[in-house]
Amino acid sequence: MIRSTRNEAQRGFWRRRSLLAAAALGVALPWLPAGAAASVPDAESFIRQIGDEVMVILTDQSKNDAQKLTELKTMLDSYTDIDLISRLVLGRYWKTASDEERDDYVKLFHELLMKTLAARLGDYNGQTFEIVGSQQVSKVDSTVATKIIRVAGKPPLKVDWRVRDKDGNFAIIDVVAEGVSLVVSQRNEVGSIVERDGMPGLIAAMRERRDALL
Amino acid sequence: MARTASTAAHWRAALACMAVALLLLSAPPRAAAQAVDDPLEPLNRAIFQFNVIVDGTILKPVTQLYGFAVPDPAKRGVTNFLQNLRAPIVFANQILQGEREQAGITLGRFMVNTTFGLLGLIDFANYFGIPPREEADFGQTLGVYGIGAGPYLVLPLLGPSTVRDATGIAVDAFILDPTIYFTDTPMRLARFGITAVDTRYRYGPLIDDLQANSLDFYVAARSAFLQNREAQIRGNGAGLGEEYESIFDDPLDEESFDDPLHEE
Repeated sequence: MIRSTRNEAQRGFWRRRSLLAAAALGVALPWLPAGAAASVPDAESFIRQIGDEVMVILTDQSKNDAQKLTELKTMLDSYTDIDLISRLVLGRYWKTASDEERDDYVKLFHELLMKTLAARLGDYNGQTFEIVGSQQVSKVDSTVATKIIRVAGKPPLKVDWRVRDKDGNFAIIDVVAEGVSLVVSQRNEVGSIVERDGMPGLIAAMRERRDALL
Repeated sequence: MARTASTAAHWRAALACMAVALLLLSAPPRAAAQAVDDPLEPLNRAIFQFNVIVDGTILKPVTQLYGFAVPDPAKRGVTNFLQNLRAPIVFANQILQGEREQAGITLGRFMVNTTFGLLGLIDFANYFGIPPREEADFGQTLGVYGIGAGPYLVLPLLGPSTVRDATGIAVDAFILDPTIYFTDTPMRLARFGITAVDTRYRYGPLIDDLQANSLDFYVAARSAFLQNREAQIRGNGAGLGEEYESIFDDPLDEESFDDPLHEE
């Protein structure tokens, strides 16, 4: 019973989102070439735009790390679907989790991702990126291949971005660096903990990790 | 005479490893998203724990000292020298995999760097505009031949591996590496030690990051290692496979279909 109430809320949320999407589409439609169903180039420009924005933030000499971090967090929030990523990571355990567990889990997942971003900010030292190409991999998803170029003599890193097209709203839902997928890695970790200690064990472990990273 | 005997012993050891591995590994390569093959998990976890302790008490402090005391150009020299020393192994495997263009790059770099680059200390090939070298090893060669990874293994001091890749390490070290035929044990141990420090120095931040940001470091390391290996074997451009595609259905969508069936 509780769950169906929740689903009502979720559906309402999506209905609002689709309404917005429809409005956006209405505005954009006149400029779209006929039969612009293929969203692959759009996904590509979506990633290019994010990459350019990130580069502007990272290379801005006038901002300190705290300011950069705030801007990057805002970007991460608006360009990735963290709630969806957290559900994909939990996979089949999502179905058996209680509403309360789901809420705790999604919230903690969000917090941990933000903290990881903060920890990684210091790693930046002059890398640039290049779009290699893109392809549609399912009805709603495309992958955009990029290269992260490092100092001379070091081979570039291959990083693929999986982009979901939700009624014209793009969101990053996975990052695959040198073959290592964020979603697959997190699924393996989360799965092994849930198998061993159940949902309460997972939430406790996430909470502990979050507090350790404070 | 003694050398011939030890070489023969190496051959036997490596061939025995290969035979065992081929028997174990008739399964095709598994997809990244599939359930992990880790029947030895308790033992692996113990060895992993041992490696983490060795890393924390010896390797990491030594590497920090190395990073602090040795000037950057000298550290680059060490990296260049060690990588150049591996060139024959990489070349042999690229030939075995039919990667002729990559093998050509490896050979060209090796010739330029061993001569103009003073036995490999300077990456002269870079100034000549020769592209960076792709890495290759015998575990990868076996993978390219269609041999599955087999159970996951954590090797003492060497870290994450699989039955196939551990076999590869033995073949690379005892057969394909020409230095085996003119070095003695102390020299090999010295090389092993310096390689460990150089590798820890270059990949240290990545390892520390994984440790700091994972819920279960053992599982995180296993997952990253296995996925990265599969990618190296698949080579460029190949997708991650159906298994990977199947994880992208939103559990929330499926639920709305399920809901009418079990109303709570």
